[in-house]
Parts: sequence; C-alpha cells; structure tokens
Amino acid sequence: MSTIVIGLSLSFLLFLLAAGLTLIFGMLGVINFAHGALYMLGAYVCFQIVNWTGSFWIGLLVAPLVVAALGGAMEIAALKPVYERDHIYQLLLTFGFILVIEEAVKIVWGLDYKQVPTPDLFSQPVALFGSQIPSYRLFIIGFGATVSLALFLLLERSRLGMVIRAASSDADMAQSLGIDVAKVRTAVFALGAGLAALGGVVAAPLVPIELGMGFSVIIDCFVVVIIGGLGNIRGAILAALLLGMARAAGFTYAPEWVELITFVLLIATLMTRPAGLFSRKGRAA
Amino acid sequence: MTTSHLGRLAMAAIIAAMILVPVIQTSEESLNLVSLILIWALFAIGFDLIFGMAGMLSFGHAALFGSGGYALTLLVTKAGVGFVPALGAAGMVGAVMAFGLSIFALRVSGLFFSLLTLALAQLVYILASTKLRSHTGGLDGIPGVPRPELFGIDFYDNRNYYYFLIVVFIVGIAVMALLRASPFGKALQAVQANDVRAAQIGYNVQRLRQCAFMISGFYAGVSGALLASLMFYISPQMLHWTTSGDVLIMTVLGGKGTLLGPILGVAVFEVLKEKLSQYTQHWYGILGLIFILCTIFLPNGIAGLFARKAAGRPGDAP
Repeated sequence: MSTIVIGLSLSFLLFLLAAGLTLIFGMLGVINFAHGALYMLGAYVCFQIVNWTGSFWIGLLVAPLVVAALGGAMEIAALKPVYERDHIYQLLLTFGFILVIEEAVKIVWGLDYKQVPTPDLFSQPVALFGSQIPSYRLFIIGFGATVSLALFLLLERSRLGMVIRAASSDADMAQSLGIDVAKVRTAVFALGAGLAALGGVVAAPLVPIELGMGFSVIIDCFVVVIIGGLGNIRGAILAALLLGMARAAGFTYAPEWVELITFVLLIATLMTRPAGLFSRKGRAA
Repeated sequence: MTTSHLGRLAMAAIIAAMILVPVIQTSEESLNLVSLILIWALFAIGFDLIFGMAGMLSFGHAALFGSGGYALTLLVTKAGVGFVPALGAAGMVGAVMAFGLSIFALRVSGLFFSLLTLALAQLVYILASTKLRSHTGGLDGIPGVPRPELFGIDFYDNRNYYYFLIVVFIVGIAVMALLRASPFGKALQAVQANDVRAAQIGYNVQRLRQCAFMISGFYAGVSGALLASLMFYISPQMLHWTTSGDVLIMTVLGGKGTLLGPILGVAVFEVLKEKLSQYTQHWYGILGLIFILCTIFLPNGIAGLFARKAAGRPGDAP
C-alpha cells in the first residue's frame, strides 16, 4: 500500500514539473532546460520563506509566484529576442539560465544542504488499509490532483486557455485576431516556471534542498515528456504515473537498480514508439 | 576567397604561437593553461562537426569524452597496452560509444536529440560512478593515469607532453579541415540546411548523421584520454553533464560552424576561467551571463565578428 502511495505522490510531483515543461514547449516551441533549476529555486525560496515566517503554507503560496515573476522577466529579457531564430538558440539560452540561477543560489544560500520541515498538519503518519502512510504523501496526491484539474480546466475550459491554445496552434493568425501573442508567451513561460517552482516547494519537505536537486529531477522530467509525447498534457499524466509507479516499485523491490529504471523505460519507449507512448499524431519538433 | 585566406593565415599564426609558447613562457601555470586549451580545442572541433556542420546539438558528449579517458587509463594500466595504441583505442571507444548513443538518440530528431543524448549520457555517468565501481573506482576516480613513453623522451615533463599535444592537435585539426572541405562535410551542411531536401536528393541522412556523430566521438575519446593523462587523474566528473555544457559554451562563444571558432572559444573560456577565478569563486555564473549575452547578440560567436568584417556585410544567424 505504501508503495502505491509513494508512487502516486511521485507521479503527481513529476506531473507538475512535466506539465510546466510541456506547456512551455506547446506554446513557445522551447524546451526549457532551466526547468530543473527553477524547481530548485522554488525549493530554496520556500526554505527562505519558511525561515522568515515559520509557515510552509505561505511558502507554498508565495514561492511559485516569485519564481513565476522571475520566469516572466527571463522570457522578456532573453527569449523574446531569439524567437525568430533556430530552436537551438532558445535551448542554448535556457541552458545559460541554469548556470546563472545555480550561481545565484550558491551566492545567496551557500553550498550546504537546507531542510524544510514537514508542515505540522501532515507530520503524523496515518493508518490506511492496515499500513502506516506518511500523511504528507497523501497531501501531495490530493494537492497534485487539484492542481492538475485546475490546469486542465484553465487550458480546456477557460477563455484564457482558449487564447493560449489559439496562440500556440497558429501564432500569426491569433495575432491578427487581436491577441497579444507576445504577452501570452510571457504569461505561459511564467506559468510554466511557477509550476516548476510549485513542484520544488511540494518536494521541499521530502528531500534535502541542494544545488544538484534540479538536475536529477530534470532527467526524469524529460523522460516523462518523451514517453508521453511532448506538448501532450494527457500523455504527460499517464507517463508520469508510469514512471512514478515504476520508481516506487523499484524502491521497494530492487533499490539497487532504481536509478536505471527511468532509462529502461525511456529506451523501451524509443525502440517501440519513438513518437511517445501516448501520442496520436506525428510529433513536430 | 579572402575569408579562407584570412583563416589560413590565422591558423598558421596560431600554430606558430603555440609552438613558441614554451620557449617564451616559462611558468608551469601558463604551460598548463595552453595544454588545456589544446586538449579542449580538439574536443571542441570534434563537437562542432556535429553541432556546427550537421546542426545536431548533443548534450551527451561528456559520455564520449569520459569513456575515452577511462579506456586509455584501463588499457595502459590494467592491460599493459602502449600509450599511442591506447590513445587510438580511446578514440575508437569514443566512436563506439557514439554509435551506441546514436542507435537510440537518432530515432528522434531536432531538440529531442539533445534531450536523449543528455539522458543517455547521464546513464553512463550513473553506471560509471556506481555499477562499474570495480573498474572505474567509483566517484573517487583513478589516480596515476600515465603519460606516453616514446623515443626515450620524458613526457612526464609538462613541456615535452605539451609538444606531444601539439603534434596530436595539428594532426587532428588537419584531418578536420579536410573532412569539412570534403564532399562528406558539404553533405552534412546540406543535412543541416534542409534534411528533407537532402534526403530527396539521395543522401542517406541518418547514415550521415551517424557517421558525423561517430567521428565526433572519436575526437572526444582522444581528447578525453589526453586530458586524463595531462592531469594524471580521471573521475566521473569528466562524464558529468557539465562537461557537455562546457564544450557547448566554448563552441558557441567562439563561433559554431567554423574551424577556428571553437578553438578561439576554448581559448577565451579557459583564459576567462583562469582570470575570473582569481577574483571571484562565482566565475561560472559570470560565464553563464556572458554565454547568454553571446547567444542573443553574437549568435556566430567571436569568429562571426571577423567573418562579418571580412565579408563586409552584416552577418546573421543561419
């Protein structure tokens, strides 16, 4: 039972991150290499806020906003000038962001590990179907499901979502219909950055906060979007579930090999369905 | 033809300057710096064959670089192979690794190629630092990587090793210059410009990409081996993704798609690193800023500046 709970919580965490990545890709055609760095930054900002205010919940609310604002600023300052160029340049830029963000984190918070305590409300394990489950894991599942649902509603049912979808399927046409595509792009990048940070905040009580945390997660995240099919939010949910559950099962049954599970899944997908397990049409990249 | 003329002159000047360095400069640090520049330049011109010529952005070159280093170390210390054959073997191992990566990574194209090479290189890093610990020494690495033994010259002297590096470097750059000018090089450029059209004309695009990636892997393997030998030490740090990042930064700074650009980039990178790290320990962040600015305002790198002057018209990103 606890394997399932851990697997599900891992899946939702991965989904929060992959959703941001795939959202940015769908709208901007940019693979954001700095996504992991933004995730790490979210965790650090949350640590700082918890340090100041003592409340995890303020951190949960404020840290993603801070990082989203930063993401918007990055988009305006650096990405905007290179949209017309080859996609490789945008990838290069986001790679440059990693270096700068990591160095900034090093300057502000130093190199030692930081810790965010589990919020009091969820510090006690609960009994569920006869086994003890850390209740914070349950919180992640509930929270992740809520955010996913909200994101789905935002994209598929709201007017803003319609604008985003219009601008991502045909930017020129959307522009001539009076949509300010440049603003939409900034907003989407900020939203994606905010989602990355949200992932970082949610993960903060579970893992030591350190500089390398962004990179180890970004690989999993890339694997999720490759398996799911990039730009495909539903595929990302399924792929995140697959990877999260596989990792949790790995932790329980074969802890020696858990680091390799990700890659086995990746390679298996590529050899059988290179366009992603859950994609219906050909991939455009 | 003035540009290529200029390039040839610059190349001759650079090589002459390199040979003179140990004569003029006597300090061990500057010798070490130019040795590093030679090795990384070899790595970078190999990297640029796929990045600048074929338009494939690999984030997995650390795996090729590092496995070359490990191959040389293990062959010489464990198997007793001579240094020069082992150096060739290190290149072959790099090429074979590239072949292995390409089986998976070339199933996708464009940006996905970057993601996959990154992920697969991370797999190699994890394997080398954990599963293969008995061979690779895990995170501690292997100390005592040997230097060449040839003609009774003492290559443990950094000055002599530097001359060895120059010989390898000149051979490497000459071969690369021929490759780039060859029909193979032109075909790669065609693939970068328009892979669909290249395929229609009759080129086997996948085969070309795979070949280029393997040649690039050979260069990476050799330069990784030379670096391990220069430092007498190898660790999984060479396989770490930051190594792939470094060679990318160097190539972009110097100017991708040219023979001289990556070398310039390596020189600028190493000198900046040397100078900046004297003032601040946060030099890598400053480098990141320079990299971002360069990507935005100088997409063809430092070499692009010269090319623009020589051509007499504003150059633009390809």
